[in-house]
Amino acid sequence: MKVPQIRRGQIAIALVCVILGLMIAVQFRTTNGIRNTVSMQRAEDLVQRLAQTEQEKNDLQKELEKYRIEGGSAGIAKEIQNAKMVGGMLAVHGPGVSVVIDDSKKTPKNGESANLYLIHDEDILKVVNELRAAAAEAISINDQRLIATSEIRCAGPTISVNNTRFGAPFEVKAIGDPKTLESALLMKGGVVETLGFWGIDIKVTQVTDLNIPAYSGAVHFEYAKPVDVGGKQK
Amino acid sequence: MIYPVIGIIVGLLIGALFPISIPVFLAKYLSVAVLASLDTAFGGIRAALEDKFNNTVFISGFFTNSLLAVLLVFIGERLSIDLYMVALLAFGLRVFNNLAVIRHHFLKK
Repeated sequence: MKVPQIRRGQIAIALVCVILGLMIAVQFRTTNGIRNTVSMQRAEDLVQRLAQTEQEKNDLQKELEKYRIEGGSAGIAKEIQNAKMVGGMLAVHGPGVSVVIDDSKKTPKNGESANLYLIHDEDILKVVNELRAAAAEAISINDQRLIATSEIRCAGPTISVNNTRFGAPFEVKAIGDPKTLESALLMKGGVVETLGFWGIDIKVTQVTDLNIPAYSGAVHFEYAKPVDVGGKQK
Repeated sequence: MIYPVIGIIVGLLIGALFPISIPVFLAKYLSVAVLASLDTAFGGIRAALEDKFNNTVFISGFFTNSLLAVLLVFIGERLSIDLYMVALLAFGLRVFNNLAVIRHHFLKK
């Protein structure tokens, strides 16, 4: 009487044991696989992260596109253009003057430093300063647009503008009222006269249509943060 | 008592011969399920030895235990609590209990 029941039970148990064995085998293989494919897993992880980042990038790009379109339609475009022009992010053209400055052809007299006959960053700065005082709207040195953060700095025998180095001659282009600009440079006791004393070759010409390129670098604001008009900080 | 052993061997052979593999993130689930079925198998053997074996109880117990264990792992992962430990502990204790009973049964014979 007992035997058939036990046997029936044993068949069920055996079935469960088959499943158990199967699971153990699979688990064993998987665990083994994990050990072997840690790098694979890492690669998968990286792929996933890459996809995620790409997705993020696409989203941001879409957002940017949206804002651009909105900006265009809402008439902010003009304001943006204006700001870009002020910031030097836009190539501009118009009347102005071109100033070409070259090292002196004079040979220094005995006992005189040759330095006096060379162009220095300060000379260029004086010219630029004078042009700005005469309401120049856009200035470039050797096609490097001067923006708010541009430097004009002595860099050995060269002069560095926007972190780009130039040797003589220098061409300073300025857009503005050509007459005002020219007379500002040529006034008595002004820059041209002073430089001319040292024999530095400086030519000022009025141009009816000058082209001044945009600033080609990128501007980062790492420390400066905008302050709202209301005094709240963003 | 030869059937369970044969069953396990057959299962291992099937698992070894067929290249079945599961995704890594399911490994934890399977480990708990393995323990659940181990518990069920021992429980079944014990019941059979005590002449209390009931097929329905046995099979339903097998599936209920496995599903509950997997559910615990799932919830635990969502809550980042190692709930599967609960299942491991419970099943582990029962496996040893059942094993003890089976052992006594054989020793008494």
